[in-house]
Amino acid sequence: MNRIEIQYFAVLRERTRTGRETVETAAATAAELFDELAARHDFGLPRAMLRVAVNDEFADWSQPLASGDRVVFIPPVAGG
Amino acid sequence: MRAFSFSSAPLDPGRYRAAIEDPAAGGYASFEGWVRDHNEGRTVQRLEYEAFETLAIEEGGRIVAEAVAKFGVARAACVHRLGSLAVGDLAVWVGVSSAHRGEAFAACRYIIDEVKHRVPIWKKEHYTDGDSGWVNCERCAAVAQGHDHGHDHGHGHGHATDDLASHAHLHLSGARQDYSRQIALPEVGRAGQAKLAAASVLVVGAGGLGVPVLQYLVAAGLGRIGIVDGDVVEPSNLHRQPLYGIADVGRPKAAVAAERLRALNPDVRIETHATRATGGNIDELVKHYDLVVECTDNFRAKFLVSDAVVRVLKPAVFASVHQYEGQVQVYRPLPHWPCLRCLWPEAPRDGMVGNCAEGGVLGPVPATLGAMQAMAVLKRLLGLDAGEAPALVTVDLLSLETRRLIARRNPDCNHDDPGTAAANAPEGPVLELEFGTLAEAFESGLELVDIRESWERLHDPPGLQVPTHLPLSALVSGQLEFPTEGRYLIVCAHGVRSLSVTEQLREHGLNQVYSLKGGLAALRS
Repeated sequence: MNRIEIQYFAVLRERTRTGRETVETAAATAAELFDELAARHDFGLPRAMLRVAVNDEFADWSQPLASGDRVVFIPPVAGG
Repeated sequence: MRAFSFSSAPLDPGRYRAAIEDPAAGGYASFEGWVRDHNEGRTVQRLEYEAFETLAIEEGGRIVAEAVAKFGVARAACVHRLGSLAVGDLAVWVGVSSAHRGEAFAACRYIIDEVKHRVPIWKKEHYTDGDSGWVNCERCAAVAQGHDHGHDHGHGHGHATDDLASHAHLHLSGARQDYSRQIALPEVGRAGQAKLAAASVLVVGAGGLGVPVLQYLVAAGLGRIGIVDGDVVEPSNLHRQPLYGIADVGRPKAAVAAERLRALNPDVRIETHATRATGGNIDELVKHYDLVVECTDNFRAKFLVSDAVVRVLKPAVFASVHQYEGQVQVYRPLPHWPCLRCLWPEAPRDGMVGNCAEGGVLGPVPATLGAMQAMAVLKRLLGLDAGEAPALVTVDLLSLETRRLIARRNPDCNHDDPGTAAANAPEGPVLELEFGTLAEAFESGLELVDIRESWERLHDPPGLQVPTHLPLSALVSGQLEFPTEGRYLIVCAHGVRSLSVTEQLREHGLNQVYSLKGGLAALRS
């Protein structure tokens, strides 16, 4: 099990009603982690439309996760 | 001795003369400029010279090399004083040795005229009545008089704050723009202010983000600003767009913004495009500016702008807000910089992820992000963002957390190759590319080709090694041939020869050939 620090941005923060959370997870990749969280939260957006950053760097959804990783889910934002 | 140098100590013509002696020379001509006791009817006691030395030495050296090449003289040099001088002191010395006197006089005259016209040197006169003032640089005066110099010298044109007095911006109050608080920054200075005055920026969207962007860029004294906005002022805009007032409701935003911004700073030329950005007009709009700031509130426009700046190779600053958060992304037309589509391959449809109308927003949120965009623009124009990696910066104004998420170019993105995109652009292909430094040009991934003649390279070697040298004379005579495959950036002194070579090569089907805009003269040191 990996201990992952998660942060949500913009519309995801609204949907999850939390800016950040820390989870113990068996998810091996960013995609698996997202799918696991999607079962709990109503993200309302498909993964394909979002981006993930691991340790402050944009990453592929296939990026393997390690304990202590900081994962950020970012939706596109249009307001101005 | 160096072709062009500065001296803080009194000038020593005897020593300089000895340094340009040449056995092949049959004569020597020199010019000395002295401090005189009057200027425009006022009695001058002493004066001070100040220069932007890096630029000035580079430009001065170029002028001397031009004179040697143009008139075929043996040797030439120029020394300019800096610091405090009294009446009668020697301010500038020019010396030329040559086989014949005619060329010596002509080269000497050329050097002093060009130095006065092109080298960024400022002169502060102290008058007997205790008053003092910076004197117009001759270049500004020449520009004001429509002096056509025949070629563009690219950089170092010092429209310093005091020089702007000559451009007749005396307002009713008698006050004039004063950029001293930004010029005081060592990284800005007079040369930086001159860069801002020479810059043009297109702001797409004059709403919550666009308002602070416009206000700060206009206040900073940019040369020209374009506003694209097809909307009218609505009462619901005012809480986050305080450039407009309740009396403006129903009027076109672009027109109201232009009115307010002209009142803020008449130095800046404001151009309005009271239209919505569309696929049909965006390239044409973007083409005429150095940089684009994307401030709209919808994905359609954001991607439209992103595609356009990739096609026409312009830097852009994007921002978006959602409730208490925002994102900023800078795009530069370099091979490793991601465009908006690189980051968001699934371009979202509007209405799917919320905008200000749907999500709600507090005024200071877009104001903060807009101010960050304005800052990014100033950093780019002043060259303060060197070494900055491509990233998406996120800001949360509730927690006051910011994050810099490193972003990379997506190799699967349609816009991973500005060259290909440019060649495929329907609006007429891009032939010229602009770079701040030779190092940036190297980074572009294009192979640099110097088409100057050998003697030009001797007198003005490129700052970095440009290994490929195909002199234009050899290309024209057919001695050498331009390679038919590969991606090339052609460079010459001022970008005129390289553009015509590029045009000819394009006609022969070489679509990956570009000309360095403004030539080597347009690059920073």
